[in-house]
Amino acid sequence: MKKNKVFLESIKNSAPKNSTPQAGVSRRGVLGAAGAGVAASALSRSAYGQTMAAAGPANTLKIGFVSPRSGPLAGFGEADPFVLGLARQKFASGLMIGGKTYTVEIIDRDTQSDPARASQLTKDLINNDNVDMVLATSTPEVTNPAADAAEAAGMPFLSTVCPWESWYFGRGAKPGQPSPFKWTYHFSFGVAQFATSYLASWDTVPTNKKIGVLSPNDADGQAIRAHLFPLLANAGYTIVDPGPYEDGTTDYADQIAQFKSAGVQIFNTFPIPPDFTTFWRQAAQHGLTRQIRIAEIAKTGLFPSQVEASGSLGYRLAAAAYWHKVFPYASPITGLDGMKLANAYETASGKQWQQQLGMSMALLDAGFAALSQSGDPKNKAGLAKTLSTLKVVTTCGLIDFTTGPVPNVAISPLLNGQWLKAHSGPYKLSYVLVDNAEDHNVPVTHKLLPYH
Amino acid sequence: MATTSYRVERWTRQSRLFAVIIALVLMVLAIGPFIFSADITDRLTTLFVYVILAAMWNAMAGYAGLVSIGNQVFIGLGGYFLIRLSDAGVSLYPAVVLAALIVGLIALPVGELMLRLRGGEFAIGMWVLAELSHFLVNLDPVIQGETGTSLTALNAYPPVAARNDTYWVGFVLMVVLLAVVFALLRGRVGAGVQAIRDDEVAAASVGVKVHAGKRIMFVLAAIGCAAAGGVWLATTISFQPGTFFGIQWTAYMLFMALVGGLGTFEGPIIGAILFFIMESWFGATGVAYLIGLGVTALAFSLFLPRGIWGSVETRLGIRLLPVGFSLRLVNPDGGRDRD
Repeated sequence: MKKNKVFLESIKNSAPKNSTPQAGVSRRGVLGAAGAGVAASALSRSAYGQTMAAAGPANTLKIGFVSPRSGPLAGFGEADPFVLGLARQKFASGLMIGGKTYTVEIIDRDTQSDPARASQLTKDLINNDNVDMVLATSTPEVTNPAADAAEAAGMPFLSTVCPWESWYFGRGAKPGQPSPFKWTYHFSFGVAQFATSYLASWDTVPTNKKIGVLSPNDADGQAIRAHLFPLLANAGYTIVDPGPYEDGTTDYADQIAQFKSAGVQIFNTFPIPPDFTTFWRQAAQHGLTRQIRIAEIAKTGLFPSQVEASGSLGYRLAAAAYWHKVFPYASPITGLDGMKLANAYETASGKQWQQQLGMSMALLDAGFAALSQSGDPKNKAGLAKTLSTLKVVTTCGLIDFTTGPVPNVAISPLLNGQWLKAHSGPYKLSYVLVDNAEDHNVPVTHKLLPYH
Repeated sequence: MATTSYRVERWTRQSRLFAVIIALVLMVLAIGPFIFSADITDRLTTLFVYVILAAMWNAMAGYAGLVSIGNQVFIGLGGYFLIRLSDAGVSLYPAVVLAALIVGLIALPVGELMLRLRGGEFAIGMWVLAELSHFLVNLDPVIQGETGTSLTALNAYPPVAARNDTYWVGFVLMVVLLAVVFALLRGRVGAGVQAIRDDEVAAASVGVKVHAGKRIMFVLAAIGCAAAGGVWLATTISFQPGTFFGIQWTAYMLFMALVGGLGTFEGPIIGAILFFIMESWFGATGVAYLIGLGVTALAFSLFLPRGIWGSVETRLGIRLLPVGFSLRLVNPDGGRDRD
């Protein structure tokens, strides 16, 4: 049902803006058709789209919103139609910037979890829809190609939910050198935020401080191995690392044996979601889960569906959150704080709230704050400059580009949370915060409970 | 018994006319960025990439009988060496060509090994090669595993210049590569590889240099696909190894060559244009689009196994760009042209 809706929406979005070329403005389309022969029929449509857009009034603000709604990353895009609906509703009567009222049009696009498509869609938004800014969210597979397309086209761009190291260094920036990016900006957590949230919350459960780590041989896995584990070791924890494994491994007997013989009481992993389900079942069969006091998972365990896959083994798994419904901040766009946003989503969709909800909202908050603060949102260079020093409180808290670890990047917090068996309500699990080291304005509602 | 006189023709009136049309289209495309909008310029660059890929896959499978499901190895390596060369300070567009030539050089020794394999072994072997290269490229610290990196050198150019230059590089590479294929097919190599495709043993027995013929097509396809990979990287900027070494490229190449007409010169070009149109129109429908592609390819292989152009050619006897010869019988009652 849900999928269908998204599916229909994407068809609707890709439908021609106007199938009748206007006299005069369609010259380019016609020439294109003549030159490209058969291919023309595919092209002219977009050409008309563009000429129509170019002929549109100068007081319309167009914002592109790129996220994964279908494919393996669909979980991230689940709440986007709802969040976009809120923003559209809010801006239905226009947006006043610098004494001028603009009509607001948000054009959302589904990458289908395909990086090549993310790049193409961003170019489409820039070339055909003549957007004034592009927003993108969720995983390097979306944010990096979209940012690259925007950077190449000189288009103001803001993205979130992708470790900033993957976004910044993953796009060819070199440590210690000036930023190669002029148009693209990103706010997100990084490796250091994982360390802070883990160290702040693990103390509440007495353990022998031995961590069994399971980190795969992929980009995230290796980055975590190189940068996070040393931070944990410095803080007095003993790291038991059986070494990198390949994504998609189905037999973890070796790793489980090593963890058991080392007597680890903390477990930490950065797997692709299906691998964790496999590993955790085997760990239970071999009795490893009985000695684990803290099971801290990342990259999976973000959304209720991922934890439900582990059944009762999912209770008391810890996983850090980039947003939680107890965040006290009200969205500057909608005025809704975390609790109201989550409740509105649950009422509207019939689904349990999830953390991407707040982050997609925060992305819109920050994007529109930049448009407003720029004074002239139609001036691209000015808008990019505004982004570079943007400082605004959004649904996910303060985003401050003046204090980022590198240019073009602002840090957003990461707080540790835990999945508990729900005792009431329609959902199986409840997700509670157990730490607020990164942002003390967020209330800690629970203490971390031992896994076993 | 009446004597029939005949004439061997390469250029028919039809193909001469068509050559003029082609020349005109190419002239328009050559000044494309001046007359097309930014979007069309950008999309046509993608079309050039598809045409190159389809023509290269066809040169291997349709002419030399080398069915490969791993040509993405060349696309990925083309992108990888472009990143590497650009990282080393080589100017962007010369680097595209240089990267393609490097891949061609690598293809020489690799081809010696791969071409010992036959049929299905070769096809699977190429896939293994693609996966292996993918893993090796991931080990390079510049690439940072699956995260990949970006062609930041492109940011030095103003957006319009970057788009137009990429278009021209793609256009020139496409024209040159198609011309090379055309010239090869018309010469001794072309006749040789087609004989190999039809029956390798028989071809060898009549003196066709089997290995040499296959090697030429293999290296040509390597250079061509690598050039396409480089141009594609210049349009998408992000190098994510999973995308560049992905098996989806093989599906695309197969679709374009099969639907257009395997073993014809014009077929893959038509296939590429068709694929491009389908992607532009239906790409947004996601899964339905992929199913549509699959069903179309299936329908063609069942009902029109020679593809669009193959069928047109056999039924109507049309040759737009003459790769072979026509035998024109000249007899009093005006017989039909025959091949």
